[in-house]
Amino acid sequence: MGYIKDERPTTMMVGGSWNIGAYKYKANGLLDEYLEGLKEKKLIGSMCMGCGKVIVPPRLVCGRCHREMTERVVVSDKGTVTTFVVSPPIEKGKVKAMGMDAVELGLFTEGEVIMPAYVQFDGADCNLNLLILDADPKDVCVGMRVEAVWAENPVGALSDIEGVRPIPMECGGLDENQKKG
Amino acid sequence: MRKKSRHVAVVGCGQTKHSSRRRDVTLPEMVSQAVFAALEDAKIDPGEVDAFMVGNMQGFGGVAQPEQWIGDWIGASDKPVIRIATGGTTGGSVGQAAYYAAASGLYDVVVGTAWEKHSDSAEPGATTGLMHVGLANVFYALTKGFSLKNVMTASVAGAAAGVAVYQARFYMNRSGCKIEHLDAVAAKCRRNAAKNPYAHLQWPGCTPEDIAATELIAYPFRYGHVCPASDGASAIVVASEDFVRRRCEKPVWIKGLASYTDEENNLQAENWSGVGVLDPSEQMGCRVSAMKAYEMAGIKNPREEIDVAEIYQPFPSQELIFAERCGLFDPGTAWRAVESGDIEIEGKMPLDPSGGVNATNAIGSSALQRILEAALQVRGDAGEHQVPKKVKNAIATGWGGNTNYITFTVLGDEPGPRRW
Ligand SMILES: [Zn+2]
Repeated sequence: MGYIKDERPTTMMVGGSWNIGAYKYKANGLLDEYLEGLKEKKLIGSMCMGCGKVIVPPRLVCGRCHREMTERVVVSDKGTVTTFVVSPPIEKGKVKAMGMDAVELGLFTEGEVIMPAYVQFDGADCNLNLLILDADPKDVCVGMRVEAVWAENPVGALSDIEGVRPIPMECGGLDENQKKG
Repeated sequence: MRKKSRHVAVVGCGQTKHSSRRRDVTLPEMVSQAVFAALEDAKIDPGEVDAFMVGNMQGFGGVAQPEQWIGDWIGASDKPVIRIATGGTTGGSVGQAAYYAAASGLYDVVVGTAWEKHSDSAEPGATTGLMHVGLANVFYALTKGFSLKNVMTASVAGAAAGVAVYQARFYMNRSGCKIEHLDAVAAKCRRNAAKNPYAHLQWPGCTPEDIAATELIAYPFRYGHVCPASDGASAIVVASEDFVRRRCEKPVWIKGLASYTDEENNLQAENWSGVGVLDPSEQMGCRVSAMKAYEMAGIKNPREEIDVAEIYQPFPSQELIFAERCGLFDPGTAWRAVESGDIEIEGKMPLDPSGGVNATNAIGSSALQRILEAALQVRGDAGEHQVPKKVKNAIATGWGGNTNYITFTVLGDEPGPRRW
């Protein structure tokens, strides 16, 4: 069936390469406003005057009402875990990107369990993907209150937020936000 | 005044065996296998085909213009060939384009074919393919201080599972679905696949415990939950109503179809800006597509009127999420049908009797395979994985684009209520 050449029962591989570094893409620079905010430990978002949604980092056009998001607002650096995943203990050779090994580079330690999460900061209508730090996986849950862990000296880079950590509960157990509402 | 369209039916189905390395064939040889199988099934001479809608995941396999390579091999010389690429949904879009080409009155007989040949690249989801998906955005982020640690974190959460693992967590948190239900769905897919001679991951008698014994990737996904990267192709022949009446014995009518998208369902949009979809399991594009397609098909109560569903589900959580968005279950309840056995081949609402994408994922082809498998169910020709009841209506979905783009097709044993 079909046109299959019986005289060549298997195909052969021919090599080739492709320099993806040769490509240049145009960006709109909107992210720079956000990065300026990070320098001052502020999370800047854009607000849609059509539906009131606040999106962080800023977005050019609202994804729901297609209006230009011209307003800028600062959202809280405290928020809520909306979802998270727990990695198995990290092993050398298991976590790789761009040909490099995360353990070999010292980015994670052998046996470390990491928890990448979606975090909705108060005042934002979107999630940011951040690591939950300083927490035992047993104690982490959806709805958990967290705060941003900032780099000691923010430089205006995406990595200025190192992750989030649980907001320590004091006597009475309420954090600022819970007290408010 | 707008002219009415014509009714269109699927009149032929063909697919190749799927496996991880089809080293016995080149790309065009593989695609021709599916196309000629479909023509033979339709009892239509290649010379009678008016046009070809073709596609695979853009850039995958490293071939930028595969349609130019396969043209001669599928009998398309001197005929219109349109290449379509909508990411994971490609096959669904190919099938729908074939419908539109015939429904419009332009052509009587149209072949839709879609494929993937992952093994032609050393990396599944080849770099050349991912370039189309988001590489520019990632490059941009890397210039803005997105650190290597961020990159590694993303690869921990999503080595193979990407946004789907977060999506699963959202769904499980709001519905009460447990990891055991995902084990059960994946086991069902492998068991069903064992009854489908064309499927990839076939495991007769696979149990949820077998799946639970596989290694955890990132909770709640295990290796046993994840679809394979398959080589394979599928093809359908569609024909307009006049041609069908003259020539075809077992038409399966395309009664309703729609394709909608929502905002990006992963976290970062163009220029690394945020996305206003808080819950990636919301899949509003699927809800809207289903509602529109049901309206076109005259389906008022999908739970009663749909007899079987071929859902696009690379991950078991997605079978449940999308079955709900298709209106087959109340929101947050599909996992109960896992416990009751309702989603089994013999169940009340069989989901993916073919094993689905979870058992066979030749990406470009996967959403066309759903249409093809739904058509076989309506015809009663699905063989060992045929559901044991009269199938009047079946649905087929696709999920792709930027994890937000849906194709939705209703097929049935009679034409829809009216011409559009
Ligand atoms: Zn808006």
